[in-house]
Amino acid sequence: MKRAKRFVRRGLIAAQRVLRGAVRSGYTRWRRSIQVRVVTSTLFISAIVVAILGAFLMQQISSALMDAKVKAARLQLDDGLAQVQRDLGNSPGDDSRLNTTIDRLKSRSGPTGLYEVYIRDTTEQYFDGYTTNELRQESVPPRLREKLQTAPQGTRAYTYGELSYVGDRPSESGLIVGGRTGQFELYYLFSLEEEQRTLTNVGRSLAGVGIVLVLLLAAIASLVTRQVVIPVRLAAQGAQRLAAGRLEERMRVRGEDDLARLARSFNEMAANLQEKIGELEDLSQVQRQFVSDVSHELRTPLTTIRIAADMLYENRDSFGDPSVGRSAELLQSQLERFEALLADLLEISRHDAGAATLDAESLDMRDLVLRVVGDIQGLAERKGSKVVLQLPGEPCMAEVDRRRVERILRNLLVNAVEHGDGEDIIVSVAADRDAVAVAVRDHGVGLKPGEGQMVFDRFWRADPARARTTGGTGLGLSISREDAQLHGGWLQAWGEPGVGSQFRLSLPRVAGAELRGSPLPLVPPGAGDARPLFAELEVQE
Amino acid sequence: MTGRIARLLAAAALLLGGAGCANVPSGGQVVTGESAERAERVDDPYVRLIPVKPRPEWGPAQIVSGFLAASASFDDNHKVARLYLGKQNSWDPGLRPSVTVLASRITDPQIVKATDDQATVRITGEEVGTISSDGQYTASPKALDATFQLAKNQQGVWRITSLPGGEKAGLLLTQDDVERAMRTVNLFFYAPDRHTLVPNGIFLPVVNRQTLPTQLVHALLTGPTSWLKGAVQTAFPEGTRLKRRVQVSNEVATVDLTKEARTGNLDRMSAQLSWTMRQLSEIKRWQLRIDGEPVTPSGMDSTQPVHAWEVNSPDGRTPHDEAHQNAYVVGPSGFIGTLEEDRAQPVVTGPAGSLSRPAVAPDYQEVAGLSADEAQLLVAAPVTGTPATRVVLTAKEGARFTAPSWSRDGTLWVVESKEDESWLWVRRRGEEPVRAAHWGLGGRQVLEFRVARDGVRAAVIAHVDGRPQVQIGRIAHAPDGSLDVGSFLPVSSELQDAVDIAWRDYNTLAVLGRANRDSQTLPFLMPISGSAITSLGVGSLGEPQTIAAAPGAPILIGTRSSGKDQVCRQRSPSNSYSPWICPTPAKDPSYPR
Repeated sequence: MKRAKRFVRRGLIAAQRVLRGAVRSGYTRWRRSIQVRVVTSTLFISAIVVAILGAFLMQQISSALMDAKVKAARLQLDDGLAQVQRDLGNSPGDDSRLNTTIDRLKSRSGPTGLYEVYIRDTTEQYFDGYTTNELRQESVPPRLREKLQTAPQGTRAYTYGELSYVGDRPSESGLIVGGRTGQFELYYLFSLEEEQRTLTNVGRSLAGVGIVLVLLLAAIASLVTRQVVIPVRLAAQGAQRLAAGRLEERMRVRGEDDLARLARSFNEMAANLQEKIGELEDLSQVQRQFVSDVSHELRTPLTTIRIAADMLYENRDSFGDPSVGRSAELLQSQLERFEALLADLLEISRHDAGAATLDAESLDMRDLVLRVVGDIQGLAERKGSKVVLQLPGEPCMAEVDRRRVERILRNLLVNAVEHGDGEDIIVSVAADRDAVAVAVRDHGVGLKPGEGQMVFDRFWRADPARARTTGGTGLGLSISREDAQLHGGWLQAWGEPGVGSQFRLSLPRVAGAELRGSPLPLVPPGAGDARPLFAELEVQE
Repeated sequence: MTGRIARLLAAAALLLGGAGCANVPSGGQVVTGESAERAERVDDPYVRLIPVKPRPEWGPAQIVSGFLAASASFDDNHKVARLYLGKQNSWDPGLRPSVTVLASRITDPQIVKATDDQATVRITGEEVGTISSDGQYTASPKALDATFQLAKNQQGVWRITSLPGGEKAGLLLTQDDVERAMRTVNLFFYAPDRHTLVPNGIFLPVVNRQTLPTQLVHALLTGPTSWLKGAVQTAFPEGTRLKRRVQVSNEVATVDLTKEARTGNLDRMSAQLSWTMRQLSEIKRWQLRIDGEPVTPSGMDSTQPVHAWEVNSPDGRTPHDEAHQNAYVVGPSGFIGTLEEDRAQPVVTGPAGSLSRPAVAPDYQEVAGLSADEAQLLVAAPVTGTPATRVVLTAKEGARFTAPSWSRDGTLWVVESKEDESWLWVRRRGEEPVRAAHWGLGGRQVLEFRVARDGVRAAVIAHVDGRPQVQIGRIAHAPDGSLDVGSFLPVSSELQDAVDIAWRDYNTLAVLGRANRDSQTLPFLMPISGSAITSLGVGSLGEPQTIAAAPGAPILIGTRSSGKDQVCRQRSPSNSYSPWICPTPAKDPSYPR
């Protein structure tokens, strides 16, 4: 019992699911396909029109049939009344004469189904007249009898009613006409079964024709929309492919109609787009080349200048004017900066050109971190910061390019020291099965919302007022990012004003493998809330 | 969008245009169809009387009048008529009540005795006859005198507490009521030869058309009426009843008999049912079932047409299959000849050729005739050449013989009759004639005697109440083998005089007689059922004397006109109004079968 109930419930649920699925897919198709929409609305509207038309026709046919029937019935009644008048006149009821009359009247009634007759002598009190065949006298509705009794002589009246019969013949609807002559009331009762059958047949035929018509219209609508929709669909597919970057995609142009014009315009648009994109690509290529060339070209004179500057610098004490010595010092430092900038420019142009290559070897990340920390220990002490290391006990091996990773770490640590405001700098290393990560945390000014992404932009500075003379070239983080991406890794930043910032480098253990997650959190534990997560979200491309 | 609207409009126009094109045809080929077979049908339209319920203000006399009128309505088993009765009265006439037929409506019931809550009402009238509950009509003209007891019931209205004849009483109906509410139908039973069917006319109330087949079959299973009881047999074993009502759908009837019918002969039962049911036009084919299972008589489908079983026809084997039978006439120069194309071809000459009212046996072995003074019955054989005649019977002093009549088994029947006496003589083939032991018309003068082709019924013209009357009797065989010919009933009261009769078919007599309003003797067709006679042909016939008829053959009349004997026939025998022509100079026509 329970099982049956469960079974039924399960079945119901399944049915519901199927139904819901069907409705949903139907709705989806309705939304997506012009053809479905057009065919459905054609079906709907034409069904309404055909139904109205059919109802109107049926009404017409039915009233025509009834009119003819009533006309015939009244003629028959007149005939019968004349017969009664002739046979009986106004004489008092004589049984045998009434019988003869009835015999005559009945002769045309009966199994042929033409009509039944009911005659009644109003002066007779012991019986209520005669009917033919199985007809019950109750078939003559009282309203008709009353009408005839009150109406003047010669009135003919008719109404529709239900003809009932003795025995088990079923009752049927009928037309009843009645009239009075002298003391006799005569009623003719016509069965409307035949008319009903005719009407049913006609109605069925009309319904059949209507359905065929509606289906035909739907088929036509479907065909016509197909002719329109298919080119539109092709255009949509073309546009999609174009959007996906396949600029050589074109539409087929057939004929000279509206759709052909659409295809032609589409193709023109695609051609223009392709041309413009090509031009832009060429342009950027030229620019990159230009930057690279310029950097190279600048190197040679720079070397000369450098030699000269070195000489000047070494001999700065020999110049009488101390301001000249000062200038030599300035020249020396700016030249160093210029060289660094040039090197960075070259590096980044190499990245842009896709010429950067990974020189991977298996290394312990802890060693790299220790080396870089050792390099900047002096700088940190100068700034009053202490570098705190959080290294795991076991080695964190990964296939990395030593030079690039060292550059990244140096960059991060230098940035942390520079913006650390003399607070402690925490460097954490962690590893899991697939990846290693290094996080550098400072407690300086931190980053404003949105800056987590901007820090990686070229020549971006947290404080534009700060002189370019101090700090790095402005390309360090960009190059670091490019380096991380070259490894297939991430470089992400988190920061909060007043709380400090953290940069996290995540690298796959195997060079080029896809990185799914990082062993270290981007947001340091105990700092901030969920808000700065934007950085992570935005960087995960 | 506009395109779609245009399409719709075009479709609508097409539809309307199509409807407009549907015209009534004004030409075309001729379509033929079969007409309804016979005009007179059992299920022809009929008329029902509508009874009224008793009114509270009616007195005892009015209640009795109302009851008498209402009992003419068979609707719902006399429901309305029973409203006139007191509560204790369980009067129930049933579907086949016995009926006392009155000449006219009783208009003046008299209150004989009346107290505040009791009354006796007496009616007087003229009784014409009675119909027993098996449907047999018996004429019995006499005065009717009956009393009804009435009492007031709790509601203070008069009700009938006692009917004349008690609770088993039948109905008191006028002739008009009977004509309206009842039909004469034939039930078919077997003659003693166990092969030929004999119609048994009964009165059956038409309660409604749907129950008519059931009523009819039920009546058939109930057996022959008292009139034919003993003279005919039925093939249905004792106790056979209808298992359920006769169902008719699509002109196919299903007759389901109870299991008693298993012991009966299927063919013979089928023949009886077929012949009985073919009187209903709505039945064209039928299926016999016994205890719910369809059974198939030999040589038939399980659904058999009602017009099968022609071999059992009451008119003998179908006359259509055999060679057309020629009529025999007596030629002017003293010979018996066959009538071929209006000319008498001599067959028998010599002494046998001068026989009066000769009759050739159905097997063409013998010819019987009367002497010129009709006092001697003579037989001659064979029916060719110049055979010698032999006197079979000689009448008593003052008596004369009727024209000899053969039944199909070769038995010769003749009635010897005086003014107030008659005797029936029967001569079987090869035997000496014997007198029938029981002869129903022994005290009357008999003018003509004709045995029907079924051998069970006999039509006579007998002197009753001072005028010749056509009557039908039946021939029964008593258990000891003696013949019982009697139960003669008048067929029709429309003729005031009758000269000669002949069996046209099992249902109709051809009669030479005078209708009540005529002064001339003319031929008529007289249905056995008692319905109206129809006159035959038009034109002068002179002085008709003899008539001969056979199924499917023209009716011949021997007439005497300006001293010359002539045999007349209708110009076109199939048309009953076609004029008489008398092309043959001969007399005493007869058909052997």
